[in-house]
Amino acid sequence: MARVLVVDDAAFMRKMVTDALTKGGHDVIGEAGNGTEAVDRWQELRPDLTTLDITMPEKDGLAALKEIISIDPAARVIMCSALGQESKVLESIKLGAKDFVVKPFQADRVLDAVSKALA
Amino acid sequence: MSASAEQSLMQIGESTAEAVMGVLQIFCPDEGQITKGLVAAVPNGTHPMEGIPTPSVASSVSFVDGVTGGNVFVMTTLGARRLAAAMMGEALPEDDAELTELDESAVGEAMNQMMSAAAMAATKVLGKEVEISIPEIRRFDDPAQALEAYDPTPYAVTAQFSILGQPCRLCLFVPNAFIVRMNRALSEMTTEYASDYTDGPLSALVRDVPLRLWAELGRVRMPLSRLVGLPPGAVVELDHEVDEPIDLYVDDMCFAQGRLVVTDDSEWAVRIEKVHGLPETASHPLSTTPQSLTAGPTTQGD
Repeated sequence: MARVLVVDDAAFMRKMVTDALTKGGHDVIGEAGNGTEAVDRWQELRPDLTTLDITMPEKDGLAALKEIISIDPAARVIMCSALGQESKVLESIKLGAKDFVVKPFQADRVLDAVSKALA
Repeated sequence: MSASAEQSLMQIGESTAEAVMGVLQIFCPDEGQITKGLVAAVPNGTHPMEGIPTPSVASSVSFVDGVTGGNVFVMTTLGARRLAAAMMGEALPEDDAELTELDESAVGEAMNQMMSAAAMAATKVLGKEVEISIPEIRRFDDPAQALEAYDPTPYAVTAQFSILGQPCRLCLFVPNAFIVRMNRALSEMTTEYASDYTDGPLSALVRDVPLRLWAELGRVRMPLSRLVGLPPGAVVELDHEVDEPIDLYVDDMCFAQGRLVVTDDSEWAVRIEKVHGLPETASHPLSTTPQSLTAGPTTQGD
């Protein structure tokens, strides 16, 4: 079981990811709706793993990922991308993200990515 | 409207409607829950939102990079509530009560994913990555409000849908620049070698010979002493930038370049952009759809 921070600007997606993680026995310890909040919450909670949406207002997922990795290079982050964001996905992997899931996704795909990132 | 502009407009409309349909069918997978109706160019002087049913909810997402254009998906309030319920696995509502905050977020997310798919379709045709904005939701109690909400563009196309028994309309506000770029892409796609190349000079005798094909992300040189000392977790920088094309090899021969892409199933694939020895253009027949590789991308060191 991992302590997870879920970041997405859409409340609906936060709920979907949270439901999937809870179903898989993980503990969602916090949520954030943009990149700025994500970095703040990450520093406060120090989660085992973070799911991070790429496209968000104020500060996007890539900028937030950069900051989180600069604080802790071993941070485990899974990116949530929409279709057609290949270059951003590649950039995030280069920056240190452990894996990615493409929306719309099934709960099992999220859990697979989490298991892989925690391995 | 010229014939070529109309052809481009219809191409934009059809490919976007197909992309939208693909995403909606994931949310509403049962037969008959989603149907696609007519895709039609909007005559000059007619607003694409004209005659929408109310009360309704409109979610708009713009193309903001690569090309520009406005995309509005408008559905009845009941349709929006039903779509949100389907996305959350809940029973379908029967009344058009106000959308909750979560319903609204679900509808916005649906539009976000539909337009991401549409942007990916446009990227394939235009050969340039198209990005989208964050969705914006508006509610209309009167059709006149919808006409004022979105400025008309020189071109527009609409696609009709039925979602869970409710009428919906996709309105694409298309600026002139998008039409020009689509014209150019379509014209390139229909030129010259498409048919000749696929039937090419290869003898039937060698067509079935199996080949080992791989994609190379990049290379790095290092002395053996460093190689053997690499611990687990070490990061080895490669010589390719993220936005550079990668190389495709058959045995040891580099025969093409392409872009690493992610398929709908979260698998890696390569969209071929250039086949060595052929004219350089994004219109190569192999480049119109991602070409999945039987072997996954590999990293090679020398």
